[in-house]
Amino acid sequence: MNVLVTKLKEVLYAVLPITAIVLILNFTLTPLDDLTLIIRFVIGAISIIIGLSIFLFGVDIGITPIGQLMGKTIAKSNKIWIVMIAGLLLGFFISIAEPDLHILAGQVDFVTSGLISKTSIVMIVSIGIGALIAIGLARIVYNIPLYRLLTVLYFIILVLALFTSREFLAISFDASGATTGALTVPFILALALGVSSLKKDSKASEKDSFGLVAIASTGAIISVMIMNIISKSDKITGSIEPVENGPTSIMGPFLHEIPIIAQEIIMALLPILLIFLVFQKIYFKMSKKTVKKIIIGLLFTFIGLVFFLVGVNAGFMDVGRSIGHSIASLDNKAYVVIVAFVLGVVTILAEPAVHVLTHQIEDVTSGYVRRKVVMFSLCVGVGFAVALSMLRILIPELQLWHYLLPGYIIAIGMTYLVPKLFVGIAFDSGGVASGPMTATFILAFVQGAAEAIEGANVLIDGFGMIAMVALTPLITLQIVGFIFKLKSKKEGLIKDVQ
Amino acid sequence: MFSNSEITEYEQVCIIVDFGKGSKVMQTAKKYGVSGGTILLGKGTINNRLLELLGINDIKKEIIFLVSDNKTINNVIEQLEDKFKFTKPNHGIAFTTSVGRVFGARNYMKGHIKEERGEENSMYQAITVIVEKGNAELVIDAATEAGSKGGTIINARGSGIHETSKLFSMDIEPEKEMVLILSAKDSTDAIVTSIRQKLKIDEPGNGIIFIQDVNKTYGLFK
Repeated sequence: MNVLVTKLKEVLYAVLPITAIVLILNFTLTPLDDLTLIIRFVIGAISIIIGLSIFLFGVDIGITPIGQLMGKTIAKSNKIWIVMIAGLLLGFFISIAEPDLHILAGQVDFVTSGLISKTSIVMIVSIGIGALIAIGLARIVYNIPLYRLLTVLYFIILVLALFTSREFLAISFDASGATTGALTVPFILALALGVSSLKKDSKASEKDSFGLVAIASTGAIISVMIMNIISKSDKITGSIEPVENGPTSIMGPFLHEIPIIAQEIIMALLPILLIFLVFQKIYFKMSKKTVKKIIIGLLFTFIGLVFFLVGVNAGFMDVGRSIGHSIASLDNKAYVVIVAFVLGVVTILAEPAVHVLTHQIEDVTSGYVRRKVVMFSLCVGVGFAVALSMLRILIPELQLWHYLLPGYIIAIGMTYLVPKLFVGIAFDSGGVASGPMTATFILAFVQGAAEAIEGANVLIDGFGMIAMVALTPLITLQIVGFIFKLKSKKEGLIKDVQ
Repeated sequence: MFSNSEITEYEQVCIIVDFGKGSKVMQTAKKYGVSGGTILLGKGTINNRLLELLGINDIKKEIIFLVSDNKTINNVIEQLEDKFKFTKPNHGIAFTTSVGRVFGARNYMKGHIKEERGEENSMYQAITVIVEKGNAELVIDAATEAGSKGGTIINARGSGIHETSKLFSMDIEPEKEMVLILSAKDSTDAIVTSIRQKLKIDEPGNGIIFIQDVNKTYGLFK
């Protein structure tokens, strides 16, 4: 029973901070008038705790083994066209099924008044991600250094960005966050690990286990930008509809969300399951016992994610919005920035993919890079990201690219200095940090604040927040890498981590 | 030329604890005179029907190897036992094996001490099985059938005579799994036979088994 207790403890540490902060805010700065909202929040938190625990087990015994096996099988084919085609197909199918991508595509469809249809965005982004996953896999097998590939990719993004309209700049960077959701991230991570763990050189194997998520997310950015340049649809016309006052019953929203989310998750898991079954028939040929275990794992993943997302959507979102609204209405605007920072810090703890990534880091480095270190720097990074986004809403002159351009220049510049293991970890964290928790709770908080601030456009200012969350960890984690490098030099005996 | 190492008797301690405790064990060991050690990550097994049904039947472990002269080792293990309570169920296990020679550890230049403390006589043996990745579970199953209480799986890499290869620009070494099983002397034969039959170890390329005598054990239950 030890395992269950340990896991539950881990999840409690992840979810309790955010619950506590929100409750403290409720009793001090921003009393929420509506008692049902608070009760729903607490029920949501419990549902998230249960869901996250089950989900993490599911990933361990379901998603990760599938991804690793797939990676190995592909690499062992020893034919580049198989690697490329398999990468393309896998990337395409898992991202086309990602619920977050559909939400984003729906929003874009809406704001461009249907000029760019939802299906075309989903298709194009999925192709982009597929192509980049293929390139990412090829990078691992041909030993191309990650920092060089990232430099090239971000240079392409920079050039494209010059031709992209301001609004779409935000949307395209958000797309990178949206496509790396709670399901795709563990899968892509495992895929990379599967290929790289074959390597004889254990240091290369260690550092090449990371970076594929980062490469995949640039695929989304590039494809949205290209789409914007080709279609010349730079007018954002729509505006977000006023938030309807939700039903007053406590359980209503939960019951409403369950079927919707269950259906989304089934859609997202289906391609992974099908691909697995096909591979199992043709290549893996594993024992019945192993297959059964993996299927149970997928089932856990499903149940866990449903609990988690229902908790977030029905319990957390409205609270986030109403906190954002009432804090931004306070006279002293410093509060809203500080609260944004704190919420950013605690929210990221509860992000499912973050746990998957940090565990993988610990496994791959045999405990050399501890979870807590990565977690801590992620928290600080995301805290800054949310606070900076809030600042951007308060000061209309501040443009998104004022953050993104210097941010990415610093991030790319640092890749040449820090240990290469941390380059992969940092860039993967960027994609990992922008998961379902951020995309719902923090986004709702930011939008709530934007509603209360004069001159802020809820929709336009809402876009771009995820882009920030995906950017700051790149810098904070590379700083950690730099510290590791300095420390190991001092001690002299330990070899450089490169 | 090996005189430095041959003065005293050396022992290797292998300590298996839950994930996260490894560094603490190491710190304690260093405090009591061991000059260093190596930590590996492994997977342990547990016997629990419910968890087995749910598919959550492995648990992360850390394995710590320490080598020192037997006086230091005795002292260290006592201290560790005090601190980590190996004698209680699920608090980890430790066992010692004899080591022939030690190289590269310069601090071990102590006087000739030979003192036998037979707290627990060698009733146990350590069985190490190295197989292709994915087969470790089968090894554990085979061992459990023959009366073993469990085992620890360590991911490893290695290659036999024909096995190194190249895929694209990557040098590949096949992945292996190493299974560490502690067994009472009288059931060792049964366990080894069971593994040999199930995994066809005697055919070339299917893995290897070796058995070491264990001097002392801590935290094992019958």
